[in-house]
Amino acid sequence: MTSAVDPTFNIASSVAAKPDAPPAPTKIKVEGLNFYYGQNHALKNINFDIPEKRVTAMIGPSGCGKSTLLRVFNRMYDLYPGQRAEGQVLFDGVNVVGKELDPTIVRTRIGMVFQKPTPFPMSIYDNIAFGVRLHESISKSKMDERVESCLRKAAIWEETKDRLHTSALGMSGGQQQRLCIARTIAVQPEVILLDEPTSALDPISTSKIEDLIDELKQDFTIVIVTHNMQQAARCADITAFFYLGELVEVAPSDVIFTNPKQIKTRDYITGRFG
Amino acid sequence: MTEHTVTAFDAELKEIGRKVVEMGGQAERLVIDAVNALIRRDTALAHRVILLDASVDAIQREIEEKSILVIAKRQPMAVDLRELVAAIRIASDLERIGDLAKNVGKRVLAIEGEYHPQKLVRGVEHMSDLVLEQLKEVLDAYAGKDPAKALAVWRRDSGIDTMYTSLFRELLTYMMEDPRNISVCTHLLFCAKNIERIGDHATNIAETVYYMVSGETIAEERPKADISSETNVAFPGHVQG
Repeated sequence: MTSAVDPTFNIASSVAAKPDAPPAPTKIKVEGLNFYYGQNHALKNINFDIPEKRVTAMIGPSGCGKSTLLRVFNRMYDLYPGQRAEGQVLFDGVNVVGKELDPTIVRTRIGMVFQKPTPFPMSIYDNIAFGVRLHESISKSKMDERVESCLRKAAIWEETKDRLHTSALGMSGGQQQRLCIARTIAVQPEVILLDEPTSALDPISTSKIEDLIDELKQDFTIVIVTHNMQQAARCADITAFFYLGELVEVAPSDVIFTNPKQIKTRDYITGRFG
Repeated sequence: MTEHTVTAFDAELKEIGRKVVEMGGQAERLVIDAVNALIRRDTALAHRVILLDASVDAIQREIEEKSILVIAKRQPMAVDLRELVAAIRIASDLERIGDLAKNVGKRVLAIEGEYHPQKLVRGVEHMSDLVLEQLKEVLDAYAGKDPAKALAVWRRDSGIDTMYTSLFRELLTYMMEDPRNISVCTHLLFCAKNIERIGDHATNIAETVYYMVSGETIAEERPKADISSETNVAFPGHVQG
């Protein structure tokens, strides 16, 4: 299968074409990316741009490579032997796939939230402060401010302000996930990667996270992997459809979900396979 | 097109499409009957048109309810979503077509027993033929998911508008020739306007079919040639200025 992305398509300018959206520069540029799990060729010559301070959704059936790509963005694959990436992922022009860059630095600038909430077994306050202490040495009052600001940004301050020093494990699933988002933004990243962040949550918690995503894009570039197509349609400015390790189509979400150009995209989003 | 993984979804979409085609057939039949009632001064047929309009309304409600239910249950995307939106829009146009046919039927009852030379209805009859052809073609375009056919219907609407303008002048002339024609010709003008509006709804349906199949709206500007609102006819012997 050949990649059927329109070579003349420019995401930044197509988003900018909306009257209310200023032009968005490229934050992450993927160029000729191939990824291998041992012998398994999981991503095949991926090329696309992720615009800054926009929400980009990656959709596709299980095993299509979308989560793999997310893991490449912050070098998660480094943790596993036998996994390797070829090509370039340029983050503000710097190749994050290259060995010359320290993955821990990449991960402070590109934060990640997983499918299942993963709070640390410590207090709500320390869940936020833990990551900050690893990278910065700041006073108690500054830390208090940082914790409050992150919890506010993650829309969970009102629910937690009176129980900051109780265990995070006592929170509901939706609250835990918002805490994880607060923890991610505490180290002041530029990009937030969300891997199916609401698949374990009830509809109300899901709505809160979606609301939050809309807020967060004022300050962060967001990439979300989701199996919920309505969620991609609701949250994302740009949607990319992956199939069998290839990028089939990438376009503004309102185009992808009403009038996709590729038959494979249409068949997937209308429930004709997958 | 490939079938949905959920086969019940395919069945629901097909059922809605079938209902729209059925409703199109009913609306077309009403228009044919209304025009025939007018030409033949058949009041029994006119009564039937007025009564049968209710069944077109009922089928519209059914299409809307079914479409809304499918949207709620399946959260359709892309072509499926366009098909459902198209069904709702086309049903609404067909419902209006039924109403307009009913209006013509009511006029037939209103002019019953009036002085009514047959030549007066010739123009209306001719225009109705064109409109009915448009309606038939656009319903075929829907059933066959044929955007080229829909576009052809859309482009022909200005011919009906032109004919309506000329019919307007013709009926005014009959009224000036013989004041006994005034009552019938006024009713006929309303009938002609109703029939011209049916043509407009056929054009709306053409736009919807085009969008449903291609995902694009027709890029050209809609052709308009009804200039009856700017048309006057000089009264014989009256010196203008």
